[in-house]
Amino acid sequence: MTQILFKNINMKDLHTMKVYEEQGGYRSLKKAFAQKPEEIVEAVKASGLRGRGGAGFPAGLKWSFLAKDVFPRYLCCNADESEPGTCKDRELMLKNPHMLIEGMILCAYACRIETGYNYLRGEFHDLNVIMEKAMEDAYAKGYLGKNILGSGFNFDLYTHLGAGAYICGEESALLNSLEGERGEPRMKPPFPAVEGLYAKPTVVNNVETLCVVPYIVNEGAEKYASLGTEKSKGTKLVSVSGHVKKPGNYEVVLGTPIREIIYDLAGGIPNDNKLKAFIPGGSSVPMLPADQVDVLYDYESLAAAGTMLGSGAMIVIDDSVNIVETTLRLISFYMHESCGKCTPCREGTRWLYQIVEKIMQNKGQLDYIEKMEDICDNMNMKAFCPLADACVSPVVSSIKYFRSDYEEYFKNVPVSSV
Amino acid sequence: MSGFTFSAEQEKEIEHIFAKYPFKKSAMLPLLTLVQRAERRVSPEAMVAISKKMDCSPAYVQSVMSFYTMYHAEKVGNYLILFCINISCQLNGCDKLLEYTAKKLGIKVGETTPDEKFTLHREECLALCTEAPMMRINDTYYGDLTEQRIGQILDSLD
Amino acid sequence: MSDNEVTLTIDGKSVTVPKGTKVVDAAKQVDVAIPVFCYHEKIGPLGCCRMCLVEVEKMPKLMTACTMDVMPDMVVKTTTEKVEKAQKGVLEFTLLNHPLDCPVCDKGGECPLQDNTFKYGMPDTRMEFHRANNAKATPLSPVITIDRERCIACQRCTAYSERIEQDQGLVMLNRGFHNEVGTFNNEPYDNRFSGNVIDICPVGALTNTDFRFKARTWDLTNAATLCAHCGCNCNITMGTRLNKLMRIEARPNDAVDDGWICDKGRWGHHFVHSENKILTARENSRGDGKPTSFPVLPHDCTIEVAAGKVAEAFKKIVEEHGPESVGFIGSPYGTNEENYLYQKLFRHCLGSNNIDHKTYQDAPGLPVSHYDVEQIETSNVVLLIASDPTEELPILDLRIKKAVTTCGTRLVSLNDQKIALDRYSSQSVQYKVGCEALAIDALTNGLARELGESAPAQGSDQSGVSAEDMKSLVETVRTSMKICVVYNPSALSGEAVFGVKRLLKMIAKVPTMECGAMPAAPMTNAVGAMDMGLLPDFYPGAVPMSEQEEIKKQWGENAPTGTGLSALEMIARAGKGQLKALLVHRSNPVMDFPGGSQVVEALKKLDFLVVHDMLETETAKLANLVLPSNGPGYDEGTTTNIGGRVQARTKALETDHAPDWKIINLMLNALGDETDYDKVADVTEEIAFRVPGYQEISKRSVGKTGCNRESIASADELVSAKPAGPGKNGSLRLRIATFLFAHDKILEASSKLAHHFQPSTAYLHEKDAQRLGIEDGDTVLLSAENVNLEATAKVNNRCQSGGVVVPRVSDEQGVNGLIGVDGGMAWVEVRKV
Repeated sequence: MTQILFKNINMKDLHTMKVYEEQGGYRSLKKAFAQKPEEIVEAVKASGLRGRGGAGFPAGLKWSFLAKDVFPRYLCCNADESEPGTCKDRELMLKNPHMLIEGMILCAYACRIETGYNYLRGEFHDLNVIMEKAMEDAYAKGYLGKNILGSGFNFDLYTHLGAGAYICGEESALLNSLEGERGEPRMKPPFPAVEGLYAKPTVVNNVETLCVVPYIVNEGAEKYASLGTEKSKGTKLVSVSGHVKKPGNYEVVLGTPIREIIYDLAGGIPNDNKLKAFIPGGSSVPMLPADQVDVLYDYESLAAAGTMLGSGAMIVIDDSVNIVETTLRLISFYMHESCGKCTPCREGTRWLYQIVEKIMQNKGQLDYIEKMEDICDNMNMKAFCPLADACVSPVVSSIKYFRSDYEEYFKNVPVSSV
Repeated sequence: MSGFTFSAEQEKEIEHIFAKYPFKKSAMLPLLTLVQRAERRVSPEAMVAISKKMDCSPAYVQSVMSFYTMYHAEKVGNYLILFCINISCQLNGCDKLLEYTAKKLGIKVGETTPDEKFTLHREECLALCTEAPMMRINDTYYGDLTEQRIGQILDSLD
Repeated sequence: MSDNEVTLTIDGKSVTVPKGTKVVDAAKQVDVAIPVFCYHEKIGPLGCCRMCLVEVEKMPKLMTACTMDVMPDMVVKTTTEKVEKAQKGVLEFTLLNHPLDCPVCDKGGECPLQDNTFKYGMPDTRMEFHRANNAKATPLSPVITIDRERCIACQRCTAYSERIEQDQGLVMLNRGFHNEVGTFNNEPYDNRFSGNVIDICPVGALTNTDFRFKARTWDLTNAATLCAHCGCNCNITMGTRLNKLMRIEARPNDAVDDGWICDKGRWGHHFVHSENKILTARENSRGDGKPTSFPVLPHDCTIEVAAGKVAEAFKKIVEEHGPESVGFIGSPYGTNEENYLYQKLFRHCLGSNNIDHKTYQDAPGLPVSHYDVEQIETSNVVLLIASDPTEELPILDLRIKKAVTTCGTRLVSLNDQKIALDRYSSQSVQYKVGCEALAIDALTNGLARELGESAPAQGSDQSGVSAEDMKSLVETVRTSMKICVVYNPSALSGEAVFGVKRLLKMIAKVPTMECGAMPAAPMTNAVGAMDMGLLPDFYPGAVPMSEQEEIKKQWGENAPTGTGLSALEMIARAGKGQLKALLVHRSNPVMDFPGGSQVVEALKKLDFLVVHDMLETETAKLANLVLPSNGPGYDEGTTTNIGGRVQARTKALETDHAPDWKIINLMLNALGDETDYDKVADVTEEIAFRVPGYQEISKRSVGKTGCNRESIASADELVSAKPAGPGKNGSLRLRIATFLFAHDKILEASSKLAHHFQPSTAYLHEKDAQRLGIEDGDTVLLSAENVNLEATAKVNNRCQSGGVVVPRVSDEQGVNGLIGVDGGMAWVEVRKV
């Protein structure tokens, strides 16, 4: 399978400047500086690269939205990686930090940005050390700082650590957090491309997205676009976890059947259990039952199947599990991570938790399912940001496909309390 | 309230932090983190000191501090154990292992050992799902946990 | 429809509004009410509560009307099935853990949550679990109670603290369901404007502790009236029940208070029912304030008799000793009608111009436009001279902050002390205490030079302002294009105030300059008192004594036109036995005038002293005859605020006692003037007829929001500044500063604001402190005029070296005693105890 991001990922000392340069690292800079910034933006557009953090928004298009002639402008790399099931950015930064730096320099050049911040989640302290060392080396080599490679282009890069809040992975909450505030999302419009960091035009991109850019500059947009499907170009890192024999981060060409990812790459289900369900894009997307395992792994196929590609985390669940328990754990996550700003999310996540908890205590009423569906309807697309929608995903999909798991619990409810 | 003062070294670090941003306000999280790591908690006195550096009110500092889970009002032990209980880890049996860990330390989840050595908390996804179940102790990640491995790790920390 | 307007359709109705209007506000224009909780026009959209979700054609999901700007040809629907379901859903979430406290909640009856639930919510709840418990009825401050169970986390109060007060005192703590409103380390939420959160809280989470359980809101009778504390004259609603004042709320008036009131206005109203109120007329045996059984004035005499006696006594004295032997000390706390009638009494009936209301020098009128408060927002530069709005005119503090942070206005402060607003100023220039005249003249001269006029060279050292600072200040003023000068005449010593008028004239000469000013004395009706001619050298409407023809035309051939005595001169003459009779209205010279015990001695020498006041005072103790004044809450009339806006005070409480204007009317009658005023509006009408600038003022034009009187031009002044004399043996110049929450007759010991009272403090510059061997926190004694005042020293460079700032924190402090009875600059010795 074509490997772009993971080509050398396990090479020894890839995180050092010496080895990285030996592998062709940073050669894209010269190539880029010979072009106009707008040409790079066009190339990224043509490549079909979509945001790899979860939203899947075309990257080149996002870059082109930057408010014209407004300076200074900023680049923020979203390394907040907190979506349950997702750990791909961690591997990228741990083993190949220079690739991210190179990608950020190219993006900054293309968007005429002179200052960049890499927002890492607070728990990535060890990765921060690695990133800072890599940046130090990049500065020493003149890849960062003033007049990079004599191009006249300046770019300063800094890292910034968060402090434990999933919501800060949402781009506007990330910006608020970077500005030293509570990580509550902002009203949109205005969008970050117009008023982002410090109210200036800002590009916010995921780690993986930025890591792809050197390839596009080196090999050309067509080559990247030759991989994948019509609407999902290129490759995607997938973090496969849960009930699989070989959990890990795998790079797949978009359009690969999910069956291949689960059974071939990740070795299938251990302990002779059978696949029951899988969540294809991190916990915030609807889950699918085992009979959907032949769906292709790309944005449009998954959308057609009623779910999303999301962050690229395949969570595999076997038939030893009652889905209700899993759902409760996920609702609990969203309840903890809700920022509390808006009523439907703050109250709704907690109410859903209370209801499912009651069900699992064998005290659920028969109308709970209908009630939950209605609560989800009152939360979905009515809250300030998509976190409420993320909480709704596992609830609605688990009821849709695994209603019987819920009904298991009702069987145990003493007659008198019904 | 007796005051909290930054050490000379910390002052240097703070200057370095301020230099990274065009606006002072971005230094809020870095300063809180600095204090949390040094003191193992962020006290009201420290918040006042930070507010003076940041030219904002202590209430604002407290507002930001109380939002993020990595800042603690109560002192945490020398080793803060964050045990992931999110979906991938749950599917791989973290609940039982967490119970085991709590029993081994002789405390309930959320508590600190009497000698202030260990604090044990549940934590949401820490981004090591492919090595589930996992835990984070101070700055180190430990994955592929079993009862045996947990025992080894805890015993190795002094 | 111009470029700046947008037309859209809401529920089938077409509406055109300015660009940038939110949909929720546009809807109001066509009587479509979209329910909200977190949205507040002054605080701005937050998007927290989701109550205002509406359907917009072509948009995939429901949108919040409060955060959405209107777009051309937008089609908005607020009553579709989808919207109604969403509203029910949001209300269900909002009420999910909200306690069913309505029967015991003060907000009941004026609660948006009740109202919205009734209109848009479900009749039943599906929540069958225990509702979450949280802290109930906890003191957030001594005057605000917070009930965290009721809080719906709409963030209105925290946004208010951040955006309006701008001190971030009230914040959101924690995250998610644990979100709660709080302060730093549970300290009290204690500042000057905290009470406004009570008005804006959409539920009963933040309530008025003073009002707690006192009355149901629907039992209250509400009077639309004015606050009577400072010169802002904020609009308020007084809620009364069974003729007792229960509470005060803000009554939004964009032209004055922008919807807010300060905490003194909100809770400083207990004086209305004070035990120390003077309720009936009485005669005193001099010096002890106890009523006697003088047969001439029976104990329960009617006000007519008392008024008649006063008139009789004064008439007799005038006949015997001439009109120069009687005087009137009025008050900037009197209404326009009261002040007008009193000056009419003394001039028309007694032929005396010995009329005054202040101890500082000033003259009415301005050489430039009289700007109203709103113009602070539209000015490019606001120049504060000797003004400290935070302590003197709190709502002005909020307005200036708003202008600086949202309207691009620049603030410049020219003062002898550091003020709280320095944080917002782009330039804070400090002159030495007592050197304001020099500093102001230096500014005027600097401008003159820029305009090519000749002007004396500046001796910068004398005023304490460096040449660079002054140059920079001149430049700022010169290039401002629209400047609003806010100056406090009561804080300007000597004749410095005329320097300000000269400065204004000079500023107005700068080409393409728009200049306006606001005389910002802290007292309620200081501007009105000047306008009504409570002055020895001006008739009402700023007509100077020199305009004899005009005076005689307006006031009759016998109208006196010789300059009378100022208030301080009256005291001096009384001390010499030359002034025989004095009437004091709503003023307390013993406490408030410079001179301390000398004032007492002087007043004792009078043949006849009448005090007409609301509360028992030290001066009333010395009076022969005391007349009752109803005061705010009971009185009616108009006052003119610092912006020249005339507004109406209406009464909230009923009383049998005659209002002041009626009492004065009786005195006028007794002295031969036959005018009979049936109601206070009759006096207002006469004012409109007689007082230049007040022609358009009537009950109708004033209405509920007030009406600006015409700008009144000032007469030419030719006084030039004299440098203040040197200090004697290292003594320091005294600067008495205003402190908003002073413990005085209005804020008594039992006041709800007593927690704000401060001890006597003297602020020193470190140079002086070092020289005098004083350290921060030491107890010191300030001595002058045989008066010793104890204070705690604070060495924080609040003023420049050579001065000491002493905020007036209580009557007891007796700080005015340190100033000589002639009111000049006070020099005090400061030494450690």
